[in-house]
Amino acid sequence: MSDKYAPPARRETGVPGLDLIIDGGLLEAGVYIVQGPPGAGKTILANQACFHHASQGGRAVYITLLAESHSRMFGHMRRMAFFDETRIPESVYYVGGFSTLETEGLPGLVGLVRGIVTKRSAGLAIIDGVASAHDSAATIRDFRKFLQELQVLADLTRCVIILLTNAERHSGFFPEHTMVDGVLHLTDELSELRPLRHIRVLKLRGSSPVRGLHSVKISDRGFEVRPRLESRLGNGALSEAPIATGPKMAFGIPELDTMLHGGLRRGSITMLLGSSGSGKTVFGMQFLAEGLKRDERGLFFGFFEHPDAIMAKCRRIGINGIAEGVEKGLARVMWQRPVEGVIDEIGDTLLDAVDQLNPQRVVIDGMQGFERATDLPERLSNIYSTIAHELERRRITAVYTSETRGLFESDIHVPINGLSAATQNIILLRHVEHRAAILRALAILKIRDDDYDPGVREIRITDAGITLRDTFAHASHLLTGGGVSRASRPED
Amino acid sequence: MSSPTSILIVEDEYGLAELLRDMLTEYGYVVSLAINGRLALDILREKDIDVVVTDVMMPVMDGPELARAIRADERYRHIPIVMMTSLRSAVPSAPGLYDALLTKPFTPAALMTVLEGYLSDDAHPPDADAASA
Repeated sequence: MSDKYAPPARRETGVPGLDLIIDGGLLEAGVYIVQGPPGAGKTILANQACFHHASQGGRAVYITLLAESHSRMFGHMRRMAFFDETRIPESVYYVGGFSTLETEGLPGLVGLVRGIVTKRSAGLAIIDGVASAHDSAATIRDFRKFLQELQVLADLTRCVIILLTNAERHSGFFPEHTMVDGVLHLTDELSELRPLRHIRVLKLRGSSPVRGLHSVKISDRGFEVRPRLESRLGNGALSEAPIATGPKMAFGIPELDTMLHGGLRRGSITMLLGSSGSGKTVFGMQFLAEGLKRDERGLFFGFFEHPDAIMAKCRRIGINGIAEGVEKGLARVMWQRPVEGVIDEIGDTLLDAVDQLNPQRVVIDGMQGFERATDLPERLSNIYSTIAHELERRRITAVYTSETRGLFESDIHVPINGLSAATQNIILLRHVEHRAAILRALAILKIRDDDYDPGVREIRITDAGITLRDTFAHASHLLTGGGVSRASRPED
Repeated sequence: MSSPTSILIVEDEYGLAELLRDMLTEYGYVVSLAINGRLALDILREKDIDVVVTDVMMPVMDGPELARAIRADERYRHIPIVMMTSLRSAVPSAPGLYDALLTKPFTPAALMTVLEGYLSDDAHPPDADAASA
């Protein structure tokens, strides 16, 4: 007799991302609860699993109790990509069970489920509206007996049974939770007018689920789970940046490269911190353009400015080569509207693009975009840290821009979050008032374990490109406010 | 005086079955309800039924199975059968198995058009939303 452990057979749900958080799929012959308020996506999830099961050659039955009518349900499902009418009724079969529940009670309903599962040789059965069954049970014991009979049926037929139910229960006690193999909890809330849907694994017997909240997106593609980025990649822990030891990667701005003693270290992460209009984006584009000159692939991932506007700006100031790089497949300019997606989707999009292009240089323009897209602010630190870790792991030299709030504030706040903690270098760009003029200034605040020129330079952005000048050689306190020029002081 | 027309509704969806019964009763029909094909056959044995209106997908015995049982029995094969379905693709295309098809959701007028086509003295074939099989 073999004492080797055989992993239990699992059935993929086919719901993108869901199988990742439930250890690969639902256990064969398992009984599961999917609970959540109306609108959370229970019905879509269940139908999607049915049609996936059918696409794998299996048969599914969908039994409704007090739920929406089948014709209404089909009306909603028709727009879903997974809904394949040709699978009905042969592979996916819909029946109503409430009449039976009303007339014959829970024993009658069990008989109905047993009959339809065996008659259709179903490998997946959905019971939609289990709250009705709970309400019709005279005692908790009766309801538990009903669940136990479903378990026996699942065991005998190897059918996976999914019970859909509203999560609200006045008593706060869910006896069914103790009887089933798993409980998936769906939520649907509003955050600043954005609908936020999540899924959480409350219980999963014999499995190692990814705990915690995961984002859910419902679209014409159906129900999609975005497992938390930080739960899939790295440990997500806030960690200090490692020392980058690679060769220097130049910006192609001679004065800045001199200040940096050649450029940024390969594999390092650099924050371009500055006020609005200080030139952060064009510095990022210049960094990519210089890389392309050296046959290094470059990815621009921006949140706020449309790529067409950025490219036009680059052409206007003589930053060339990016459009050609895009055409040759050496560069990619991506635009992600932060309000459009959940943060995990944006993170996945970024890292997918990194995997596809395999760039040496990456510019992320407007890290605040991640903040706008986040569901839970407390996650940002770990997400930034995870992204930093993924970029470092690939030896990518990354530059990201981060905006300061005020134009002339004397206090400069470096955002304290996962990414800034994992950032080796910080370059400050800001507006300064000098001799009755508003100028742009640049200073290097931090280059980890490398020498640099700490001087403040004026940024000139003209049709001929970006240059840095020693305009402020005789000035002081420029970046901290209240700046004075020595030439203007009475004693001078 | 002729007896009132008797209609058998076979439908497993609770709300729809109740609605159809109430509506047809209002129109003066005598309505019997069954929640699956097997129970419908029990009713056919007990009552004189003029028209069977049946859903397609049901537990125990579905609409097509019921229709085949009715067509196979000399006592009932003359009874018109109207199939109701949300998906036309779910209805088998077997000639003579049923007489008309109603696609859910349908209006009361569409249902009455179909029924009157089989029940009234000046019977006429169904049209509008109904498709003759």
